[in-house]
Amino acid sequence: MNLRFVISAIFLCVLIVCAATTISAQNFDISSGGQPTITGALGGSVSGSSSVLNNLVVTINFGEVSPANANSIVKVIVPIAIRSNAAYQVTVSLASSFSGNAQAVQSSDAGFGVGNLRSLGAGAKVCTRSGHIFYPPFNNDPANTVTINGSGRAAYQSSLANISGSTVILSGPRLTSGSVTRASDNGYAFDAIFAITPQFFAAGVSSATLTFTISAGPNVPC
Amino acid sequence: MDTRTTPIIMRALLFTILLVAFAATAFAQSTTGTVSMSATVSKFVEINSGGAITLSGNSGGGVTTDGVVDNPLAASINLGELGPSNTNSFVTASVPLKLRSNAAYVLSMSATVTSTGSTSNKIVNTDVGFGLGSVTRSGTGVNTGGSDTNATSGDPTLAGNGSVNAGTGRYEYTAVKSNLSAFSASTTALNGAFILNAVPRSNTNGLTVPAIFAVKPQFYENGSTTVSVTFTVTAP
Repeated sequence: MNLRFVISAIFLCVLIVCAATTISAQNFDISSGGQPTITGALGGSVSGSSSVLNNLVVTINFGEVSPANANSIVKVIVPIAIRSNAAYQVTVSLASSFSGNAQAVQSSDAGFGVGNLRSLGAGAKVCTRSGHIFYPPFNNDPANTVTINGSGRAAYQSSLANISGSTVILSGPRLTSGSVTRASDNGYAFDAIFAITPQFFAAGVSSATLTFTISAGPNVPC
Repeated sequence: MDTRTTPIIMRALLFTILLVAFAATAFAQSTTGTVSMSATVSKFVEINSGGAITLSGNSGGGVTTDGVVDNPLAASINLGELGPSNTNSFVTASVPLKLRSNAAYVLSMSATVTSTGSTSNKIVNTDVGFGLGSVTRSGTGVNTGGSDTNATSGDPTLAGNGSVNAGTGRYEYTAVKSNLSAFSASTTALNGAFILNAVPRSNTNGLTVPAIFAVKPQFYENGSTTVSVTFTVTAP
């Protein structure tokens, strides 16, 4: 076999693949949107990257949520950055470990909402023909929507209990002006807000993991 | 393909792979991110005042520092005259307690009685009757189905809880844990199931129970007596 022919063929294939990818791909990206914060915690913490160039990997420890925590609520704000070169949607799914004891912390005891979409900077695409939509019931700050239900337990407009499978929480038109290369100014950020009211929960430890996913969304014009 | 062309092809492939890897790195994207969370609930118990103290049968004296509902219990009572000049059958103080917990609880009590007298006729711990009254679990958020075990014999002034000693003539509280001698060391007075369901601390409901203290006026040796009682609630 001719050596030059083989090498040329390999390069041709690679170029074709790259070109096809570039031409046809809808690119999406989700990353940290900044430093997460926590308030009202007793022995709690939150860790995550303050850089929008890093992946979204956040660990929240709400700390003590029995009445030993005298604060009215433990609130965590997790900024999330998103980028796309096409209409997008953000979904969230839940994997959790809650006690079977109804008096223990349940998914409905963790308020969850989203909001505060803002541009990251000059590279963000400003679309005028479509808006970005936070889907109800998640379009709220759960720390501001706490109510007491008939049994005396704190309830929220939306909580982890409202997540069923892969649940859409946000969608809209293109987010990024140029290519979806991860940069500090070429997309948008929003806040995922979590809240737990300390209560006379049954003793124990609860945990959950949320996975946020960005993908092609409703085909709305920019 | 001869043996000389293979290394060249391998290098070309490697170069291509490196190019692709570089491109992938330069255009790093991720379509998913994770937020992991955890929370801890520890056992929690508290005891507070259940409200105002009731003092009856007293001659002189009074409630010096009253209980204030939902505030820390730090009451002070002057039982007044306990000699025969007080013609009432008993001087009784009823101190409301409020307990709250997210776990099974134990209410313990310890008491000391100190008198200035020097004889056996002074007031001693067996002369101070004690018992816990009716336990009430009511209100929104309260575990009304939870049961409680009262280790005392209830109101110490009940006829069945005491009588005059036929030999000495002294009135004695004879029922189980019906006087303070049973609590010279920390001793369980009440225990039961968790008190509150999952409700915020701002919910003021809980378990209420009166702690009843009684002294029967008698020909005690003259002097003054101090009774000090400490309640402790735990979640074992």
